Amino acid sequence: MMDEAMESKSRTGQESVGTSVADRPLVRVRGVTRTYRQGVLDVHALRGIDLDIYDGEFMALVGPSGSGKTTLLNVIGALDEPDSGTVQVAGEDITKLTKGDAADFRLDHVGFVFQAYNLVPVLTAFENAEFTLLLRGKNVEERRQAVMPLLERVGLGEMVDRKPHELSGGQQQRVAIVRALATKPRLLLADEPTANLDSATSDDLMDLMQQLNDELQTTFVFSTHDPVVIDRARRVVRLLDGRVDDDDGARGR
Amino acid sequence: MLWRIAWRNLWRNRGRTLIMMSAVALTYALMLVSMGVGDDSHDRMLDEAIRAAGGDVIVHGDGYWASRASDLVIENAETVLATIRSTPNVQATFPRIIVNGLVATSASARPVLLFGVDRDAELQLNDILPDVSRGTFLEGGRDDPIVLGSRLVEKLEAEIGDRVVLTASRPDGELTRALFHLSGVLHTGARELDEVLGYTTLDAAGGAVGMEGRLTQIGVLSAGNADGQAIAQDIQAALGSASAGIEVLSWEDAVPEMVGYIELDNAFGYIYLGVIFLVVLFSITNTFLMAVMERVRELGLLSALGLRGARIGRLLLSETLLMTAMALGIGFAIGLGANLAIARWGIPVSAWGLEDIEVSGIDMSDMVIRSSIRPLKWTIASALVAVTTIASAVYPAYRASRLAPAEAMRFYE
Repeated sequence: MMDEAMESKSRTGQESVGTSVADRPLVRVRGVTRTYRQGVLDVHALRGIDLDIYDGEFMALVGPSGSGKTTLLNVIGALDEPDSGTVQVAGEDITKLTKGDAADFRLDHVGFVFQAYNLVPVLTAFENAEFTLLLRGKNVEERRQAVMPLLERVGLGEMVDRKPHELSGGQQQRVAIVRALATKPRLLLADEPTANLDSATSDDLMDLMQQLNDELQTTFVFSTHDPVVIDRARRVVRLLDGRVDDDDGARGR
Repeated sequence: MLWRIAWRNLWRNRGRTLIMMSAVALTYALMLVSMGVGDDSHDRMLDEAIRAAGGDVIVHGDGYWASRASDLVIENAETVLATIRSTPNVQATFPRIIVNGLVATSASARPVLLFGVDRDAELQLNDILPDVSRGTFLEGGRDDPIVLGSRLVEKLEAEIGDRVVLTASRPDGELTRALFHLSGVLHTGARELDEVLGYTTLDAAGGAVGMEGRLTQIGVLSAGNADGQAIAQDIQAALGSASAGIEVLSWEDAVPEMVGYIELDNAFGYIYLGVIFLVVLFSITNTFLMAVMERVRELGLLSALGLRGARIGRLLLSETLLMTAMALGIGFAIGLGANLAIARWGIPVSAWGLEDIEVSGIDMSDMVIRSSIRPLKWTIASALVAVTTIASAVYPAYRASRLAPAEAMRFYE
């Protein structure tokens, strides 16, 4: 059912290229709360978030440490379950998924780029990039055709056989982006993707993400502290103490 | 891909994997060696017990085995022998006249336990010839040969060919004397035996104590792996009315201490194996659990990318499976090699300075430890090791499969 919804949405998305985004949001977050137990303290990471994200957006989640950015990304990406509220992705409530179905959902519909430790250390750049395709049962040729152009596109065509420890931080993040995009997801979630990079590398990475957003119409949602990155976002949602404090509402591109 | 990741993960911490693999391989090899040696010594103990008893089954005059009284004899020996020989599963019979007496030379007189035997039959059961240190074992035409233990000969100060006088009581209670000539000396290595043991021919013994046509004991060797107790019952039944005044004992009835010893030996063997299994189980569980805890973030990443928990668990199990397969391969090669070497060359017990090993009067000191390989038992034991090793990774794998991705990804933050 979700696949059908995704399919139909995807078609809508394609039809709407170059126009304003469709009215129905790709992600609809309503009344989401999430409280962690940390030692003896309860940490209220999310205190009732309402948020809509539309197809093709290039959106930054900003806010101080502990404002709930990572938790919100985790909840949207079905990595974490909210205590209350609903999260709909392409019309489907993902808070109702079992653990196994949540894993399938992530595999099929979401690309992730994390701040660090993004790659499987024992796999080469190419193997890391093709990993999600492999999990989806694609054959060698399909994987090569999907991954190689992307690796070349991000400037890693010559480094496909390198292990993560043989790549710089920026190169590792590029491999992670390729892996996230290889399955052609509609939604790419990036948790502080530039946090461990120098400003020049951050700039390059943002250029790349922006270009991919333009070329592939993939929706990018990333959390960040970095003012340079925030400047590049087309929409900025500010979180404070687990609530949406400000949303500049600039939808789409 | 999972196998590829598993294989590479295994070699990420080469030292740890090698230590873990050697532990499993050596434990397994040690287990195979102890099993091979244990089974062989078990067989030898059985052989010794059967030899010491005088056969798988022994037949006497009723009450003889407990009292060793010289008047308890098998009267109609020919008929009884013929009946036993025609009983199914009987491979061979050993007619014996056993005399408790005194042997004397001009120098000294000593007690003797003298067996009058059918030489060729007896040698089928008991390989006496290697123990003959001087002279021969009842060979040649002499009608009054006697072969005595080496320490006995020493005390009698006798030489081959010397006259030896036997004094013993006849079944009717009369004391009698008979002249023998020393024709051989036995050195078994067991002090007690070398001090009292003697052999002569059936005819000479019968003539000496007036037991022509009668016997003290008939030893019975069963065919193949036939059960001694079942044959004892068959013989009892076959003898019918002739069984009056006759006792038929299986070797287990005859030397129950030996049965107990073998059972104890088996029990210790199983306890030993059990301890080995537990050590392997805990050490591997611990190591794999460490491997999981070290990789929480990475396993979280796999989960975040959409690998289901069950497959993450399977990844961990695959690592164990690969490690186990290699360890068992190496362990099997070492274990088989060691067993074949021991089977081929043997380890003499005497090399360990263990001279007088006796179990319930049965001499074990001339034992050379060898190995006997039982394919079925080895297969079962190997399967058990494999299952134990893999089982030890089940809990760590389960833990890994239950990792919540969001928490796992936060692990080092």
